[in-house]
Amino acid sequence: MCREDIAPEQAAVIADSVSKTFTQWQRKEGVKGIFRQQKKTVAALEDVSFRIGKGEFVAYAGPNGAGKSTTMKLLSGMLQPTKGSVSVLGMSPEKDRIALMRRLGVLFGNRTELWWDHPVIQSFEWKKVVWDIPDEVYQRNLDRMTELLDIGSILNTFARELSLGQRMRADLAMMLLHSPELVLLDEPTLGLDVVAKRQMIEFLKWINREEGVTIMVTSHDMDDLEEMARKIMMISKGKLAYDGDFDGLRRLTGNRTHFTVITDGRRPELQGCRFLGGEHGAFEFETDLSHTPVRALLGMLSRTDGIRDVEIRRAPIEQVIARLYQSWKNEKGINNSEKSYDI
Amino acid sequence: MVDNRVTLKRYFQLLGIYARMDLASLMRDGKFMALVIAADLISNVSAVSGIFLLAWKFGGIGGMDRFEVLFMLAYGNLVMGFLNMMGGSNALFPSRIIGRGQWEHMFIMPLPYGVQLTVGIFPFTGSSTFLSGIALLIVAMCNLEMVFAWWWPVLLVLLLAASMVIVVSLSYLFSSLTFYAPVQCEEISSTVIYNMERAMTFPLSGMPAYIRYPLLTFFPAGLMAWFPTMILLGKATTLENFYPAVFALLTAFTATHFFKKGFRHYVKKGINRYVSGGHRS
Repeated sequence: MCREDIAPEQAAVIADSVSKTFTQWQRKEGVKGIFRQQKKTVAALEDVSFRIGKGEFVAYAGPNGAGKSTTMKLLSGMLQPTKGSVSVLGMSPEKDRIALMRRLGVLFGNRTELWWDHPVIQSFEWKKVVWDIPDEVYQRNLDRMTELLDIGSILNTFARELSLGQRMRADLAMMLLHSPELVLLDEPTLGLDVVAKRQMIEFLKWINREEGVTIMVTSHDMDDLEEMARKIMMISKGKLAYDGDFDGLRRLTGNRTHFTVITDGRRPELQGCRFLGGEHGAFEFETDLSHTPVRALLGMLSRTDGIRDVEIRRAPIEQVIARLYQSWKNEKGINNSEKSYDI
Repeated sequence: MVDNRVTLKRYFQLLGIYARMDLASLMRDGKFMALVIAADLISNVSAVSGIFLLAWKFGGIGGMDRFEVLFMLAYGNLVMGFLNMMGGSNALFPSRIIGRGQWEHMFIMPLPYGVQLTVGIFPFTGSSTFLSGIALLIVAMCNLEMVFAWWWPVLLVLLLAASMVIVVSLSYLFSSLTFYAPVQCEEISSTVIYNMERAMTFPLSGMPAYIRYPLLTFFPAGLMAWFPTMILLGKATTLENFYPAVFALLTAFTATHFFKKGFRHYVKKGINRYVSGGHRS
């Protein structure tokens, strides 16, 4: 699964056979359970290997408890692997922590790095001193972030007074003040409304495209991930289950496509297509393009009476991934190299 | 090779930004500032007045006259006042940093941990105890019938440093346990230090050995004020003069060893929800 096509010197991140285990307490029901509580070893990550090239924008996805945050913490030096090794920008997060943190940006959506009882600009000035950011770099980045993230009006507001969307934008701006080469974002769109989310996504795409910043982002919102990232790595039960592009991911689940037909009111019977729902002359179907190619589908539709219009679109990535999650849930183990999806 | 050393100039820059932020907090509004200062004054006066009034009423305690007692109380205030001022960001109570999961913020800062812990000062909001210590020390010295040699201020500074090292070392020693049980031990350092702070105000002169010795060894509250006061007032033997420094060195080495060991465990074995008794959420 590891993408060996990225040479080590071109890699921003290299995870080599990384495993991380934890212990959990287990308590069974009944009186016996009170006195005989047991420890259980949990593998948060198991033999995970991957590479992220410099300048890539990679989505890192997986169900709850799959090991996403653990990976982020390993890459940012907050945890050390039980087995295997991690290299970030050619450095060891454990041994070269200080040098690495000058070039790395980390943002966890559920926690803020802003000083809670100070205005946003105070946190930025604090960061300038602690990160030892040269004046011209600081001013250039501050001006740019203020404009792109539209935070000019909140710079003098105390962090505890900010809305979640404002806080996330301020956190993001603060994270980028030292011009990091690699950015690790754990759930950056968590809890954001539509407008705030759009701003965040557009901004991340911009810094990746224009500044060449390598980005690794986790989110549960798959549509967001597909819009932002060009690659996706999927993790399940601590193992890397997929590393490739989004189209490849779709093909894994059978290249399903959704289409809507507008009719004179009758519901058409279409062979090889699954009816999803609809009424009053608008009906939605799903089909697998690997079995029913577009040409065959269009031919079938043209031969069907009463059809006035057709709209074909790819299956939402959200549904593709939901199917994957469900299939993983039903499996006892995962074989990375030869995985069969029974969907 | 990247140079990770922090120069003195940079260290003062870091102290400066925290000092500016503390001043800005204090100056946010006049009422808030007045409340903070009044609360600190009341609390400081209350902390020392009980023992001093007893000494005043009985003309001294256990062989120490009333101004020697006041000197001891002032010394204790200087020790705790300086540490409170310098330990603004819970640097004096690392178990809170670990127990609350705040070490994760420290991992991503490009500074050595030691620097991060010592630059987070609160010189304005946290200085009242220290300032009251200076005031009490001056009053006590003016009323003590004693001639102070030229080297006496140097001895005072060295003993203050030794007492502070002991307090900080004990705090870090007990905080090492928090790496293994973050929730359970979150407040362990404050419990130890606050209890020592309460015990340090009692003059141990005239106390039986079975009370005095434990308070100078296992629970060294006596080294936070009383024993150094005896040295500074010329009431200790030559050998005893070195005891606080030796004790400080031993506790510092022990604390460093166990804190580093706990820290290694913390990053190896995991934190947060993964460890039994992980951070409170």
